[in-house]
Amino acid sequence: MAEAAAVVAESLAGYRARAARAVLEQVVLPGEELLLPEQEDGEGPGGAGERPLRLNAGARSRRRVVCGPGLRRCGDRLLVTKCGRLRHKEPGSGNDGGVYWVDSQQKRYVPVKGDHVIGIVTAKSGDIFKVDVGGSEPASLSYLAFEGATKRNRPNVQVGDLIYGQFVVANKDMEPEMVCIDSCGRANGMGVIGQDGLLFKVTLGLIRRLLASDCEILQEVGKLYPLEIVFGMNGRIWVKAKTIQQTLILANILEACEHMTADQRKQIFSRLAES
Amino acid sequence: MAGLELLSDQGYRVDGRRAGELRKIQARMGVFAQADGSAYIEQGNTKALAVVYGPHEIRGSRARALPDRALVNCQYSSATFSTGERKRRPHGDRKSCEMGLQLRQTFEAAVLTQLHPRSQIDIYVQVLQADGGTYAACVNAATLAVLDAGIPMRDFVCACSAGFVDGTALADLSHVEEAAGGPQLALALLPSSGQIALLEMDARLHEDHLEQVLEAAAQAARDVHTLLDRVVRQHVQEASVLLGD
Repeated sequence: MAEAAAVVAESLAGYRARAARAVLEQVVLPGEELLLPEQEDGEGPGGAGERPLRLNAGARSRRRVVCGPGLRRCGDRLLVTKCGRLRHKEPGSGNDGGVYWVDSQQKRYVPVKGDHVIGIVTAKSGDIFKVDVGGSEPASLSYLAFEGATKRNRPNVQVGDLIYGQFVVANKDMEPEMVCIDSCGRANGMGVIGQDGLLFKVTLGLIRRLLASDCEILQEVGKLYPLEIVFGMNGRIWVKAKTIQQTLILANILEACEHMTADQRKQIFSRLAES
Repeated sequence: MAGLELLSDQGYRVDGRRAGELRKIQARMGVFAQADGSAYIEQGNTKALAVVYGPHEIRGSRARALPDRALVNCQYSSATFSTGERKRRPHGDRKSCEMGLQLRQTFEAAVLTQLHPRSQIDIYVQVLQADGGTYAACVNAATLAVLDAGIPMRDFVCACSAGFVDGTALADLSHVEEAAGGPQLALALLPSSGQIALLEMDARLHEDHLEQVLEAAAQAARDVHTLLDRVVRQHVQEASVLLGD
């Protein structure tokens, strides 16, 4: 039995660990291991004489690389845990080595600190509201976490209302907590979302793409009808236009954007703009 | 066992395959819009559909929640029209419960459950047509569905069955070969590291032959991995083309 296991392990044609830089923008799959470009562990500037000079002379001897979604650290390598494209963001300045992450497509949201999300109030218990954000647990929202709320002046929030807020606590061990004020105490667009309008779900990848700074879809949609729109990083979009029909058209367009190429989308927009 | 010759003198099996050859595999990911992840696989005439929901809140009793990892809940069901004779009970019978348990053990080894404590991941597998190797087809379909759902996994899980006839190990048994009564082994493998997630056999096999059969199953699982790898890459590329990369 021991020989059998050894035979199985030796002859595996599996992935050799590849350099992360070589696989950028390519599809990576779980099970692959990636090597980081610089593996020094900070021996300090005095170590230059004992090591051969590197080609990229600008590199500091200690670089901190951030391992983003879809990657786990195992030993001194990165293990890929989701399927998608490997991306890298160069550091702005400082000692960092940048961020590596896997751009994967997903429908289920996992709460992350700092994300702005749309939640639905499901319960009021004592001093907190329970808000369903689409994750594995409902998030808790204190009634004091609204702009201008005091113990006497409670916010007007009912069960079933839509809330736009951000996470202050979101890790795997604790129940997520969200607030509707920023660090200065101002609402900054967060809070209860108004009446009417339509809430619908899309995939997380589409939301990230719509929120990218160079997204043309939003500009085109804005030219069609005047509208109010709120994007939640948990895959929820709330949209409101002047009439119900326009709202439904916008909701259908945004949902369909996932499966359309840019040309098909332009055709649809031009047809709608004419009618 | 008169009549049926499972391995001819020239080395061909009943359906014309060689001893270590797999059946034709076709797979697709993302077949259901409403599930978090879904996949469909055809291995020869065996067809399996897998659907994944999660990680979401624990359903039922809160007491079942594990404080440090996610609960993996697998349910196996085979359609009433999947076998030659119509089955009375699609799920809830002994074999389905046992399969569900084996699938759970397999996926607890591969899914990184410690990233989602106190939550639940549901994997539902349904066999639409059973022509041998149902456990392997279920595991392969479920792997693709879990990848489609974006749940973090240590590695793929690829499975294959193997048997032993006339001193030769056969890989990927069909129903005819399974029903002939020889020893059969089901192996689920994590290909990159070569680790075995589940190895199951309930027949009698001499231990001298075990290595050979195990190696045949492992090689077949690695071949399945090559195919599934291609399917996933194609799916990701199609998705990112539409997303405008």
